[in-house]
Amino acid sequence: MSLTSGAIPVLVAVALPFLAAALVPLLWRVLGERTGYAGAGVALVSFSLLAGELGREGTVAVPWIPSLDVALRFHVDGWGLLFALLASGIGVLVFLYSATYMHGERGLRRYYGSLLAFMGAILGVALAADLVALFLFWELTSVASFLLIGHHDGDAESRYAARMAMVVTVVGGLFLLVGFLLLVVASGRAFGTETFDLTAMLANADAMRAALRETGLFLPALAFVAVGAASKSAQVPLHFWLPNAMAAPTPVSAFLHSATMVKVGVYLLGRLRPLFLGVEWTLLLVTLGLATMVVGAVLAVASTDIKELLAYSTASHLGLMVAGFGFASAAGAETGAFHLFNHALFKAALFLVAGIVAHEAGTRRLDELGGLRRDLPFTAVVAGVAALSMAGVPPFNGFYSKEYLFKAAYEAASAAGGLWWLYPTAAVVASIFTVLYSARFLALFFGDRPEALGEVHRPPATMLAPPALLAAVAFVVGLAPGLAVDVAVGAAIDATAVGAPEFDPHLPTELSPPVAMSVVSLGVGASTYPVYGRVHRAIRRARASAPALRPNWWYDRTLGGIDRVGAELLPRIQTGLLRTYAAWALGAAAALVVAGYVAAGVALPTEVGVDAPPATLVVLAVALVGAVAMTRAPSHVVGVLALSLLGFMVAVFYTLASAPDLALTQLVVETLSLLVFLLVLEKLPEYYGELDRRLALRDAVLSLGVGAAVFLTVLVSTRGPDGETALARYFVEKAVPEGGGTNVVNVILVDFRAFDTLGEVAVIVMAALSVLTLLTMRRRGESP
Amino acid sequence: MTAFGLAAVVGGMFAVGTFLLLRRDLVRVVWGVTVLSQAANVYLLTMGGIVLGMGETVPVLAHHGGEPPQTADPVVQALVLTAIVISFGMTAFALVLSLRVYEENGSLDLSKLEGDA
Repeated sequence: MSLTSGAIPVLVAVALPFLAAALVPLLWRVLGERTGYAGAGVALVSFSLLAGELGREGTVAVPWIPSLDVALRFHVDGWGLLFALLASGIGVLVFLYSATYMHGERGLRRYYGSLLAFMGAILGVALAADLVALFLFWELTSVASFLLIGHHDGDAESRYAARMAMVVTVVGGLFLLVGFLLLVVASGRAFGTETFDLTAMLANADAMRAALRETGLFLPALAFVAVGAASKSAQVPLHFWLPNAMAAPTPVSAFLHSATMVKVGVYLLGRLRPLFLGVEWTLLLVTLGLATMVVGAVLAVASTDIKELLAYSTASHLGLMVAGFGFASAAGAETGAFHLFNHALFKAALFLVAGIVAHEAGTRRLDELGGLRRDLPFTAVVAGVAALSMAGVPPFNGFYSKEYLFKAAYEAASAAGGLWWLYPTAAVVASIFTVLYSARFLALFFGDRPEALGEVHRPPATMLAPPALLAAVAFVVGLAPGLAVDVAVGAAIDATAVGAPEFDPHLPTELSPPVAMSVVSLGVGASTYPVYGRVHRAIRRARASAPALRPNWWYDRTLGGIDRVGAELLPRIQTGLLRTYAAWALGAAAALVVAGYVAAGVALPTEVGVDAPPATLVVLAVALVGAVAMTRAPSHVVGVLALSLLGFMVAVFYTLASAPDLALTQLVVETLSLLVFLLVLEKLPEYYGELDRRLALRDAVLSLGVGAAVFLTVLVSTRGPDGETALARYFVEKAVPEGGGTNVVNVILVDFRAFDTLGEVAVIVMAALSVLTLLTMRRRGESP
Repeated sequence: MTAFGLAAVVGGMFAVGTFLLLRRDLVRVVWGVTVLSQAANVYLLTMGGIVLGMGETVPVLAHHGGEPPQTADPVVQALVLTAIVISFGMTAFALVLSLRVYEENGSLDLSKLEGDA
């Protein structure tokens, strides 16, 4: 593996958060609630190490399963670095914010541990260049997110939300795994040997695309990857877990549900984009993304809670990024990568602002809040910058990336015509609703202050500084977008786009169609705002009238159904009765054996190999009589005697069948068994066996079925006396020269297979010890 | 034809074993296990082919040296010998366990022993 960038910093940057997560219990003992600052320190170290890699590109690999070419392989390039820097950078701020916001909460050890592990997993996803490693980090983010969403574990709503996020994203992850495996299969076609190395696949994207097409795996792989990414990035119809996940503490929402976890899907789409670019990719992702953009924006307008509004808005903006990456043009990649960056800045700031408002005003309900600019003047400025950016108002940073979406949509539509014009239309409609809910968010600070609202305190500096810093960066990016492009975004676009596009975002100087689309969005949005209340109520009414249109309803019904079926099924299967288990196991085994014969077309042999001498048959028939007598024995003693009859007859059978050793052993064992039985029976009650006729009949049918299966098996699997196997010949010939004994069976047991016999003796010793323990423990008065 | 008889006997022993295994008297369940293992042993031996015992066919060689004669399959016999001993251990253990169950619960009726009584 080439190692053009510093390998150690990358490995340390990913490993450090995990290490710190493991050490949190110790840190907590020393630092207490100041563990939050330690977390910020860890994030800062990771951030600095990764920032040092900017502009470089290279791979570092730690071998893991060399025979499958699986390795902990990390690849550094612009796209991975952009995402990793966002995650660790916002991580610093979230840890700082948490130290104040989470003050006095319980379960903070778990909180900081999960948050650190989560950050490590995100850095892993961003930098992993091996599909197995990538998948593992991907699922780790789901697990950590489950713990963080369910932080208030005493609260049923939290648990519900955590389980929902887990179910949706983990099931989506399984789809992703299938997609990855299909890619691996295609890589076998493209390179000759199958590989999990994502960097190699991306370096030969054309060959991979051709291989996917040739093997017919293009569409399946695309579909599986898209479902995985959509589940994580809350795309319609899997968007419903995101608003529920707002049950998490606000810093978690700011970190996971604006900047990192939900971006993982978008990140992956950007990463795999060169492998799948084509008309199917565009149709699938642009439709998915724009549908999410519209639905998210409309539902955000219907929200009654600040965090709910931000959650739906996040889904909507994720749709924008997915749609951007969907377009094959350079403008598409520019939209996806630049908006990922811009959105992380302004949305994390908005979530942190929402946390301040909830913390200081004591409510998150939109209709109870307003006019906070007098109470929280500085927060109002931060919120203003971030909300205007979210609305896409120039010259704030959200404007540029949205403008590129308009450009990509317009270019695609004017090239293809027809129904493709739906794409720019949907983008404009979604943007109108975006302007509406952004204005509603701003109304928290401007407009009238409700009289019911009590006293609102100013937030401490540690809570205000993180969103202020984010808003400041967003503002600078808005004024000088070229700066962001030079530092990080440009390299990210190069990695996700095909070819090397020129990216130079700037404020428009003339009225081009995309500019006109922006003007329409802002104009219509602003002029509709006075009737916001009516729009809000109309959407809520429509949603309430058709519950079946809500994916959440389907989720509840499906999971509830599974729970009910499980609760009903369990007592039927697990009856606690031995006869149930035995009946099912034996019946199923017999049925499978017979079905196997039928499926394999095994014919009943007309001439069977074994030619049993008549004498043996007579002896065995007597044994069978003994066995049948056992089923009808009126007392235990009679039954045991019948059992002995069977045993001794089998011993005679062994004698007749040229097996004197077996006969001897059997005689000894039978005698001992008889003694043991009689000794034990002395202490047991006489008889329990009144036969229930119906039950006996059913058991008899099952028993005959089992017997019939065995009958068939004996017929088709035995062989005649003439065919001595090579194995038997080997032992007979080697017994004297190598074992030094004439009794071949004995030589096999104590010489050739001596270790097996040792094991057998060990089993007998264990049984003897167990018997001894069972008998003496009770007498000594110890309970088991 | 005799092979069909042999198969029928082994099948019959399995059927009886299964029937006993499904009874509610724990002692009968232990019998069932014993019958099943006896039947399995007989089956194993027949798989190697049955040779009527006639001096030469027994896998005990008459003398050291010389070309050994063709005998009954010693590998199967070694297997069955192991199985006999193990099943004895199992029977003894199961019986004592049944005794203990009776001492603890005052009953050997499996239909009354369900759950963690």
